Amino acid sequence: MSRETTTVIVTGAGGVGKTTMSAAVAMRLAGADRRTVVMTVDPARRLADALDLHSLANEPTPVPGVSGLWASTLDASASWEGVVHRYSDPDVAERLLKNNYFRAIADRFPAAQSFAAAETMAMMIESGHWDAIVVDTPPSAGGLDFFLSPSQTAELIGGKLLRWLTGSQLPGRRFLYRFTGRPILKIADAVLGGPLLEDVAEFLLDLRTMYDQLAARAETIKRHQQRATTLVATTADPAPVAEVLRFFEELTDVSIEPAAVILNRALPLDWTPASRQPIRGIPDAELRAVLKANLVRWGGEARRQATSMEGIAGRYGVPLITVPWVAESPTSVDSLGRLLDGVEGLDDLIAKA
Amino acid sequence: MSHGSPLRLRLQRTRPTILSEGPQERCGYPEAMLEHRLLIVSGKGGVGKSAVSAALGILAARRGKRVLVLAMIQPSGLAAHLGVDSLSYEPTRIRPGLFGVAIDRSHALEEYLGLQLHVPRSLPMRQLSGALNVLADTAPGIREIVTMGKPIFEVLRGEWDLVIADAPPLGQLQSYLSAPQTITGLVPTGAVREQAARLESTLADPATSGLLLVTTPEELAVLETREAIAQIDADRQILITGVVANRVLEPLGVTAHDVGALPDGPARAAGLLHLGLVESQSSWLSSIPNDPRLPFLFGFHTPAEVAARLAEICEAFA
Repeated sequence: MSRETTTVIVTGAGGVGKTTMSAAVAMRLAGADRRTVVMTVDPARRLADALDLHSLANEPTPVPGVSGLWASTLDASASWEGVVHRYSDPDVAERLLKNNYFRAIADRFPAAQSFAAAETMAMMIESGHWDAIVVDTPPSAGGLDFFLSPSQTAELIGGKLLRWLTGSQLPGRRFLYRFTGRPILKIADAVLGGPLLEDVAEFLLDLRTMYDQLAARAETIKRHQQRATTLVATTADPAPVAEVLRFFEELTDVSIEPAAVILNRALPLDWTPASRQPIRGIPDAELRAVLKANLVRWGGEARRQATSMEGIAGRYGVPLITVPWVAESPTSVDSLGRLLDGVEGLDDLIAKA
Repeated sequence: MSHGSPLRLRLQRTRPTILSEGPQERCGYPEAMLEHRLLIVSGKGGVGKSAVSAALGILAARRGKRVLVLAMIQPSGLAAHLGVDSLSYEPTRIRPGLFGVAIDRSHALEEYLGLQLHVPRSLPMRQLSGALNVLADTAPGIREIVTMGKPIFEVLRGEWDLVIADAPPLGQLQSYLSAPQTITGLVPTGAVREQAARLESTLADPATSGLLLVTTPEELAVLETREAIAQIDADRQILITGVVANRVLEPLGVTAHDVGALPDGPARAAGLLHLGLVESQSSWLSSIPNDPRLPFLFGFHTPAEVAARLAEICEAFA
């Protein structure tokens, strides 16, 4: 690798326009002549159409009409299969991938999709193919899981479940057979109805064989995350704002310092004072009254937005980048390209990334 | 072990959907929803599920019902909308007739074993619950059935006129609704299977249970809602009792031409933004059922204010 890859992580709660922001940031990077890939998670259909993403695939495809930009949609199952193949013995890998419990864990462990995203990001960084990588994170735990998932996954695989099942010490396979002879398991199986626990214990022992390699991998992924530029996307709605606050509170644990908060659907601050002025240029008094009432409502909303964002910026000393509210969210590469035109602070930040 | 729930007898496999009917058949909203014993509230993340759950709880309690509002996962949003700092595993009285509760995993497991599976107290409960804990993380359907079991257990206890469950978002809802079938596929016999069957029939009984889907008039939320409706329609797990669009903007009553006559500036920009949003919203609204809509609340600061205002608005529908 001749030069370091720029990595931008766009995180935040669901529904705030995270994927759109990621794609727009990626277009800026590609526009600056950098070979760029944007890794999306569950893009809206029309955005996916614009990026020409038609199925889950970790392998990036070129975005039509934008030179230097590729896009992919996270395929968490494929990422997990890759993890199993890379970090366990071939025969264990085969057993694990065929096991129903493995699928269940990979589907339902809250951090599983986030870990798949983090591992896929790391693979892209290590491939050396890209000047810039933009990562749209899964919304789990307001984006926090993306950063916590390497440790959580290592812990899970390392025997958190096994320890619950067997007490404080971690058994070897031979121990398991003595252990399954314990009366409690017989009772449990009788109550629960089936030889479930024994199957589960067998499976967990297999899973545990990946631990050493996976723990080392988790540390590498965390270093990639710490080197990246993290942008926290939000709207000013109470629920995502609460998620952002929680995110900042817990982020120090993983040594991540976001470079900026991106406020999407921002209203201009001058709407608030303007709403106290009379409306000019319309002779019809009734029409004036309607437009005045409308400006008063939106001006009040602009003030509410400003108040809630001051709380975040003031408390955590992080720059705020505002992206204006547009009636129709971008659904073509042209409108995506225009979304961040004139947005202050972002281009500087990307240049430094 | 006894499994003599009266609700077991009421398993009905009627087609639990209302979507083919016109809005006229569904007037009485939100009364019709509050007639259920169990109302499950779901929707895409961020559309206002917890706000609507809290608002309907406030409304039902105001109508003289004894209501339990229950957070099935992360309780902080529901707690904020109910205006309390936190919710715990013991039902807390929030106002006359309104109680709030959160599901706590270890309590839920013990309750599941003792009160729902009727495991004899003579058995070592702590070890059993430890074993079940592992299963809940590993085997499909166990965590979901324990979580789904809680609101249904509260319904069957008979202490509440109405239980409102603030459910997981749509992405996860399917695995909760189909947990009973998943379990019956996994476990051949025993108490777990019987409890799963009881749960399935309670959910499928349209006189007892209903699902309220909350959405916002935006692309992702509407498309996910439509997919969920189609899926639940096909699987017939529960009656969809309503689809509520939240944060709907009122038409301005003026045209783009009128607004365009204004000189450049905030009044013009705010007018055009409003008109543009109304147009985009109405195209998404046209593809979901025409249930009453909840307005975008301008300038509301706290979740508790939002829920209280939505309750007043729902009351005015009646």
